[in-house]
Amino acid sequence: MKTTRREILMFAGGSTVGVLFTPAPWRLITDTALWSENWPGIPKPARGEIRARYTNCSLCTAGCAVRARCVGDQPVALAGVPGHPLTRGALCAFGLAGHQLPYYPARLKHGPAQEAAAAVADGIAQCRPAEHVVTLDLRPGRTASWTYRRAMAAIGNGCYVAVSQSLGGPVAVDLAAARTVLSLGVPVLDGWGTPGNVMAARAGFRLIQAEAVESRTASMADLWLRIRPGSEDALAEGLAGTMTPAAAAEATGIPEAQIVAVAGELAQNGPVLVLGSSRLASTGHTIVARRETPVPAEWRKAAPVTDLAALADGSVRVLIIDESAPGEYVPWNAIGRKLVPDNPVVVTLASSRDGYGRHAKYVLPVGVYPEIADDIPPAVDSVAATFRIATPLVAALEGVVKPEEFVAKAAGLAIGDTLRERADAIHETGRGSLFTYADAKSVAVKDVSAGDFWKALNAGGCWMDAVDEVEKRSLTVAPRIGAATPVAENPELPLVVMLSHELTPASPLLSKMYRESNLRLGPNRAALNPSCGLGDGTQATLQTALGKCAVEVILDAGVPPGVVQLTAWPAVLDLVGPGARAKVVRA
Amino acid sequence: MTLREKIPFLAGLLIALGVGWIGFPYAIYQRRPQPVDFSHKVHADKAGAKCEDCHAFREDGTFAGIPTLDKCASCHAAPMGTTVAEKNFIDRYVTPNREPQWAAYARQPENVFFSHSVHVKRARMTCESCHGDTGSSDTLRPYQADRISGYSRDIWKVQATQGGKPMAHGMKMGDCVECHRQKGLEHSCLDCHK
Repeated sequence: MKTTRREILMFAGGSTVGVLFTPAPWRLITDTALWSENWPGIPKPARGEIRARYTNCSLCTAGCAVRARCVGDQPVALAGVPGHPLTRGALCAFGLAGHQLPYYPARLKHGPAQEAAAAVADGIAQCRPAEHVVTLDLRPGRTASWTYRRAMAAIGNGCYVAVSQSLGGPVAVDLAAARTVLSLGVPVLDGWGTPGNVMAARAGFRLIQAEAVESRTASMADLWLRIRPGSEDALAEGLAGTMTPAAAAEATGIPEAQIVAVAGELAQNGPVLVLGSSRLASTGHTIVARRETPVPAEWRKAAPVTDLAALADGSVRVLIIDESAPGEYVPWNAIGRKLVPDNPVVVTLASSRDGYGRHAKYVLPVGVYPEIADDIPPAVDSVAATFRIATPLVAALEGVVKPEEFVAKAAGLAIGDTLRERADAIHETGRGSLFTYADAKSVAVKDVSAGDFWKALNAGGCWMDAVDEVEKRSLTVAPRIGAATPVAENPELPLVVMLSHELTPASPLLSKMYRESNLRLGPNRAALNPSCGLGDGTQATLQTALGKCAVEVILDAGVPPGVVQLTAWPAVLDLVGPGARAKVVRA
Repeated sequence: MTLREKIPFLAGLLIALGVGWIGFPYAIYQRRPQPVDFSHKVHADKAGAKCEDCHAFREDGTFAGIPTLDKCASCHAAPMGTTVAEKNFIDRYVTPNREPQWAAYARQPENVFFSHSVHVKRARMTCESCHGDTGSSDTLRPYQADRISGYSRDIWKVQATQGGKPMAHGMKMGDCVECHRQKGLEHSCLDCHK
């Protein structure tokens, strides 16, 4: 039988109609859609037993206690630990998304570790008597910090340089003791101190925020004093009585009567905690001395803390920077001039190239929270000395460098398990209590064995010195948090720079949320008053006396005319400093 | 058009219907036997076991799923009976302490969060509501995985149990939504998609 073309087409038509009345085509469409959900590269949540693990967040020195919901070995959600005496079950937005930090796309994963070690060894060998080998620690007070100090002591001309501690020494703020808090630009309610502790104490004090920009803290304060940029000290002097109210009003731009009223309130509603100026002292026991967290006696043979400014220009032959623990950034213009002019060795240990990696010869990758075991120094608002360990929740990447081991090896210092040694030293004192997260209970240190103490610290625990053992007295030392410098006029640079705080690394989720949505000012953005003459989203150039960089203009009515608000990001901090002036021009 | 002229069309139609309804379901699924010939019926009848005796909830309320070998070995440390299935189980898994690689018929896709605890403890639903009469089956049917998506066939509510008896509920999103809607518990996408 001969098959005609017409019959073939009829058969195909019948088949097509028939197929449409079967589940096959519809199912293939569904399956294809489902298949696309499982393409290679799409992350899949782990399967396994669901359990809780505990650690401490090391993204900032608040060191909040963390309960991690894990599926198998993979943390999938973080939350606070209710009942914690200091962190009180709270976590900030960065902390809540901290388990995503290892997946930051711009994360540094490889680096010339061997080459850098060899260069450091060469640099140490070539160091002349007047030259130094320096370790710069951005978060002093850790166990690793003590290793750096011991390592630098082991090198004849080694120096340990640390960023200034918030209050200039082992002292703490006791928010619970304050009835009035006068903040001169300090972001008290927006990332300063321990979030849970600040919010718990908030109902007990009246907050007076003096700030040129309507920051989050200013908007949530009981009273916002909208002062002129850089006039914080004038206001403090006016309130202290060392400047007449009229002169203070002239300098700050706020009414004389308001200065008199605030001065009266500070006198009557004490104790007063003053943050952000050295011209006005706190009263009562709002700033207290805090014991240092104990260390083994043999560690005391360590290099002292050297101020960077005390080092002669052109004297640093080898500089090793530990950026693994986020901390205060020292602008490169303050560091660069300390290096020897001929071939200095600069090694930074960092998780990205955003910081000193832009200037260093060698950039070595490090583990990030929650991959690495590190302790967290006591928070600025922790009256008691503390010892908390950020216990790893996930395995570190292959090839990352441990800063502590790198520096110790460079100095020929043999180290063991330093965290364990310090925990044993704390246990030996028998002081304070151990708070364990799984059961939210406190037990006196003298009632637990050294082994159990160490085990509990790693399973989620915190050592806290007893508060009644803390030396509570009013100190004459004034806080230096956010201290501003009077701004000198400069017609070439008409704008005063105001920095918003941005010291915490953000996970991919958080950085996407706020950097792309302007919930917070992004690192490459400049906020200006709408009267500045530039449009929202304009690509512009920020110019200061130290250089220039590209920025995107964000118009914000909360920023007064004559001010540019920038995020305290390394690339920005390299261009500006306290009291800096700038101009923003269309690119 | 005469009937003779319509024959190619009808032939195509019938062949397509046959392939689509009979051939396609066989072709689309990959069959994989379970590692052990397990009888729920024997365990329920002879040992008096209930679902939750083996498919237990942990102390924190989360569902443990398929029991691990430890649970089985607590009774089967030595052979219980003389069946071939029992001997194979002891020789292949209990003695070498090797976990059987069970295939979960009802495993949901990765993007779905399903809490057994909420459905069983709070809503007081029975296991049979979703899993049909699996608890009285005498043998484990082969696991059928969709060749394209990789998901279990049971999600589609088709012949959940051997013999073709359908389940009371499917496990597709529409089935979940239907039940939630009936009970007035339709809240948000984020209830399940987390």
